[in-house]
Amino acid sequence: MSTQTVWRKPPFIKSPIVRWAFYIAVAVYVIGTIATLPIDWERTAQGLTRAQRIFSGAFPPSFERSGLLISGFMESLKIAILATTLGMILSVPLAFMAARNISPKPVYFIGRGTFILARSFHPVIVAIIFVKAVGFGPLAGALTLTVYSIGFVAKLLAERIEEIDFGQVEAMRSVGAPFLSTMIYAILPQIMPRLVGLGIYQLDSNLRASAVVGIVGAGGIGATLANAFGRYDYDFALAITMVIVGAILISEAVSGMIRKRMT
Amino acid sequence: MTQTLTHEWARFTPAQRMKRYGALLAVTLVVVWALGSIDVIWEWVWDAPIQLVNLFARMVPPDPTNLPSILEATWQTINIATIATMIAVVLSLPVAYISAQNTTPNVVCLWIGRFILVSSRSVNTIIWALLFVAIFGPGIIAGIIAIMFRSIGFLGKLLGEAIEEIDPAPVEALEACGASRFKVVLYGIVPQVMPAFFAISILRWDINLRESTVLGLVGAGGIGIILQGAIDTFQWQEVSMVLLTILALVIAGEVISSALRKKLL
Amino acid sequence: MLEIKNLVKRYGKGAPVLKDLNLSVQGEQLMSIIGSSGAGKSTLLRCVNRLVEPTSGSITLNGTDFTTLGAKDLRKARRRVGMVFQSFNLVDRLSVMENVQSGRLGYISTWAALTRRYPAEDIERAFELMERVGIAQYADKRADELSGGERQRVGVVRALMQRPEILLADEPTASLDPKTSEQIMSLLRDLARELNLPVIINIHNVTEAKEYSDRIVGMRYGRIIFDDKPAALDATQMDEIYAGTPSEDRQEMGAVA
Repeated sequence: MSTQTVWRKPPFIKSPIVRWAFYIAVAVYVIGTIATLPIDWERTAQGLTRAQRIFSGAFPPSFERSGLLISGFMESLKIAILATTLGMILSVPLAFMAARNISPKPVYFIGRGTFILARSFHPVIVAIIFVKAVGFGPLAGALTLTVYSIGFVAKLLAERIEEIDFGQVEAMRSVGAPFLSTMIYAILPQIMPRLVGLGIYQLDSNLRASAVVGIVGAGGIGATLANAFGRYDYDFALAITMVIVGAILISEAVSGMIRKRMT
Repeated sequence: MTQTLTHEWARFTPAQRMKRYGALLAVTLVVVWALGSIDVIWEWVWDAPIQLVNLFARMVPPDPTNLPSILEATWQTINIATIATMIAVVLSLPVAYISAQNTTPNVVCLWIGRFILVSSRSVNTIIWALLFVAIFGPGIIAGIIAIMFRSIGFLGKLLGEAIEEIDPAPVEALEACGASRFKVVLYGIVPQVMPAFFAISILRWDINLRESTVLGLVGAGGIGIILQGAIDTFQWQEVSMVLLTILALVIAGEVISSALRKKLL
Repeated sequence: MLEIKNLVKRYGKGAPVLKDLNLSVQGEQLMSIIGSSGAGKSTLLRCVNRLVEPTSGSITLNGTDFTTLGAKDLRKARRRVGMVFQSFNLVDRLSVMENVQSGRLGYISTWAALTRRYPAEDIERAFELMERVGIAQYADKRADELSGGERQRVGVVRALMQRPEILLADEPTASLDPKTSEQIMSLLRDLARELNLPVIINIHNVTEAKEYSDRIVGMRYGRIIFDDKPAALDATQMDEIYAGTPSEDRQEMGAVA
């Protein structure tokens, strides 16, 4: 990437001609792009006064409508819990399907394809689609974050399954254990710590994401924030943002602590 | 010889079992609470699969008539991600420097650095975009600044950690031979954090590419604007065309960043 | 009795690892298979319970031809063959008892397996066997807390829980120190006698093989080139097994040349 302009070392392209051509190309790209940015300078110039207005409107943060804030936050929490639960339930079989060492080829491709698709779209895009399909509100949020959870948990879990000690599976096969019993004895104990860790991490992650997908109508505190912004209630918006940031810091600390204790 | 009586074996002692049941019960209660009190119209839930299938049926086949403008918006999206990443990389260097424990000049700087990192990281790109759209008006500039603000925290934190993990011996050696502070940084620290620096920058570029695709939904430029427009006017076949383009963009981004990583590291 | 006839195994398109092998094992004998790495010992053992799929030939255990079985019948048939592994292959995060009971997984329902509701007689037998090999006091310990020798005892008990008709041991002592290794070998020998159980052991340590076995089979390049009492194994034979070229291969090479 163009990061080369920042540090000139090391010259990772041997030929100086190619190297300089590369540098020039990067420079042309950067200058060209910035110069042709469709910037409305007049509008931008007003930005400072506008920013001033927003910030003076935002201070001090208003917790007057804390009822709304709390109910929005609780809704986010519920969305996160349900999406994590459903996401984990769906991720486990998907991860088994997408693990190269235990899955037949066609099943493997189906599993892998599913979570690649789930990962490729930003949750906000998934959220608008769900909002259009099932209407505004927490249902769309929960479905969105379920997809989001699958994309992350199934991928990492599948990678963990691919790393297991296969000898244990061989041992279960040698005693004539049926397929499911083999999974339960030889694989599940090996991936359990990772599974629990991922669940806790994903709950934390879903709580964050729920604040975002709410902005496009998928319920939760994000919806409250978007409303406050839309009505120019910047003081309330700041209060909401502060709560979101606080909740994220707390949940990050708690999930980190639990995961540290687990291992 | 007296044989022992029938052996009893249970996997857990009663106390352990109660604890496990207790934990299971607690998790179930939380889920039931969330399920029972969430503000959802259940008829809609049962209806959701049909609605989704209907929606996807309306998306087929994708409509490429607007492809030129979609591609132009995609190019804009790439530019937002790239320019914002570059600026953020430059700006994050001093932040990383003052928020790494072993290079920070003094405690005040350390805390300023940490404050910048935490506030940047805790606020999502979309929320930053919301704010900058309000300030600068809708458009690409709000998008670039939003991505930049979020990236500084990410880059600064990871880079700061990389600086904290360096081997202090070369730094000491340089200080011992009387090199200036700047030279110590250049010869003692920069070479050590270089691989991490590239890896982190590439990673963030990849993430920013994904984030740039949704900026338009709050008016901050890029392909999201076309997506929003198509959704608002119920042009579902165009929506699917945009979605396919985004899919291609994201996969291309992943391929490029993994190729770069291989080349540079 | 185990009867192996014309067994051939080849991986992909390469040269066969097992070349037209014939072997029969009966009664309560402890048979050791020796040979250098790559001779096909491990493949041979794994072909018996079809952890490795044979290319051709037949393997018959007390009247059942293993090679023709479908997936479901194969599973049932595997319950009759116990196996002990070089790296123990215990489930580290489960207790010793759960590991031992996993030998019965072919018999109990998935639900019972999941909830750990093992039949009383299985628990009874598990304690008997664990007492026999001296690990009963560890029943509730996690498998990864045990020493190597103790872990291999768990592996042996797990295999015996199947009430197998034959026991296969793939380098059971290769991960153990010399003293523990001898303990495991004498345990296997004693168990073979007590339970009237034929035991086949792949082993690298020729001294141990000679000391504990009733019969020794030497393999070289996928063929059996020695099959006799331990006493018959002399220095010339040893050279053949570890450095020679089997006579059939010599002819082949001659034909090519």
